This record gives sequence, C-alpha cells and structure tokens, in this order.
Amino acid sequence: MERIVFDAAATIALVFAALMVLSRNPVKSVLALVVSFFFLAVIYVLLFAPFIAAIQVIVYAGAILVLFLFVLMLLNIRHEGSGKDPRPIQRIVGGGAILVFTIVLVALLSKHGTPPGLPPASEAAAPHIGDVARAVYSDFLLPFEALSVLLLAALVGAFVLVSKEHRP
Amino acid sequence: MIGKIPLADVLVVSAALFAIGLAGALLRRTAIVIFLSIELMMNAANLALLGYGAALGTVDGQIAVFFVIAIAAAEASVGLAIFVALFRHTETIDVNKINLLKW
Repeated sequence: MERIVFDAAATIALVFAALMVLSRNPVKSVLALVVSFFFLAVIYVLLFAPFIAAIQVIVYAGAILVLFLFVLMLLNIRHEGSGKDPRPIQRIVGGGAILVFTIVLVALLSKHGTPPGLPPASEAAAPHIGDVARAVYSDFLLPFEALSVLLLAALVGAFVLVSKEHRP
Repeated sequence: MIGKIPLADVLVVSAALFAIGLAGALLRRTAIVIFLSIELMMNAANLALLGYGAALGTVDGQIAVFFVIAIAAAEASVGLAIFVALFRHTETIDVNKINLLKW
C-alpha cells in the first residue's frame, strides 16, 4: 500500500514538475508547481514527517506560490516570446550538461546513496512532532530567533524595493 | 528502508526533481519561471533531507527542512520585489533583455 502511494505520488510530482518547465504560459507553470508540491507533501507524510507535510501545503503551496501568482497577474506577463533564440549554442550546451549531470547523479545516489548496514526505520521509532518542537526550542533556539529577524528584514526589504518614495 | 520504501528510491526521485529544476533554471527565459525552478530544486533537496532523516530516525532532517522553508519564504518575497522593481524599470522580465550590468 505504502509502496503504491509512494510510486503514484512521485510520478505525479515529477510529471507536473516537468509540465512546469515545459509550459509556455507562466501562470500554468505556477499552477503545475502547486500540484507538484502537493504530491511532494504526500511523500513527506510517508517519510514520517506530517508537520513538514502540513507546512509544505500551507506555506509553500498556499502562500509562496500564491505570491508568485499575484506578481504574475500584477505584471501581466505575456507568453514567453517564441521568436528565435538569441543564444542557440548556449541552449544546446546547457541541455547536454543537464543530461550528463542527471545520469551521474541518479547513478551515484541509487548505488551509493544509502549508507551500508542501516536498520529499517519504522513509524514507531520515528521522531514525533513533539520531538521536532523540543529540538526547535532547545538546540536550535538561536537559529530559530535569527529566522524571525530574517523574516522581518525580508519584509522591510521588500517594502523598500517596491516603494516609489525616497529615490535618491 | 523507510517503512516499505527503500531510501534509494526517495533519493532517485529527489535527483530527478533537482534535474528538472536545473533544466528549467538553465533553459527558460522568463525570470519568474527561473525562480520557480529554483524553488523546485530546493524542494528536491528537502526531499533528500527528509529521506535521510527518516532512514536514520533523527529529527535533524525535519529541522533543516523547516529552516529551508522559512528562508525560502523570505527569499521569495525579496526576489519578487526585485522583479517588480525591475519590471518598472525595463518593462520586461525576459532575462536575455535584462543586460543593465553587461559591460
């Protein structure tokens, strides 16, 4: 059962990720990525991380990608120009490099990615959501607080970048 | 093995997602789609982190992904603000036409 759900979710996530890259219309790209991230959240549940799955849906698919949609609608971006490519050689070299990179990465990870002698993980032994909270508020308290300052800085930075006042 | 799923399968899915994201970042010309591809690559890395975290039975993978998602939110807000400012300036976000800094 888990196996079937994992295979189905992984396939759908990969297909929609590919659709995101192939689609000519940026709005369709964002919507395809929303679907892809949703099925990634399904995989996160199978990896015993329900909290991360929830914030994947709420923060990533729900907030960040909707922000992308807002900006796309705001700027009214038309389809990517289908006119001739100003840099054809760059495209061919890039495609070849990606192909080589993918083959090497998949071969390495599938062969040597798993550490030898690893005992099988079970849901009962997996860290509970309470363990995540305890770790965030004890061992990782300083990075966590730094993160709140970072988010505030990003908020102020975004305001400064788009405001029309105070141009030097 | 994580439940009934081999760790190698999770890693292969993660690698494939990363490769798709890389292809988008290198081959597409709209700045927003390039940005989306970078988000996809971050999610591929998140998947690998969660896979290792689950296989080793530690909480560290989930913590790392938690921080990555928060930083991605900050990065998206600043990046999109830059695109809006850029669009006001040049009326386009096609990366081949944005060559303000090119000698």
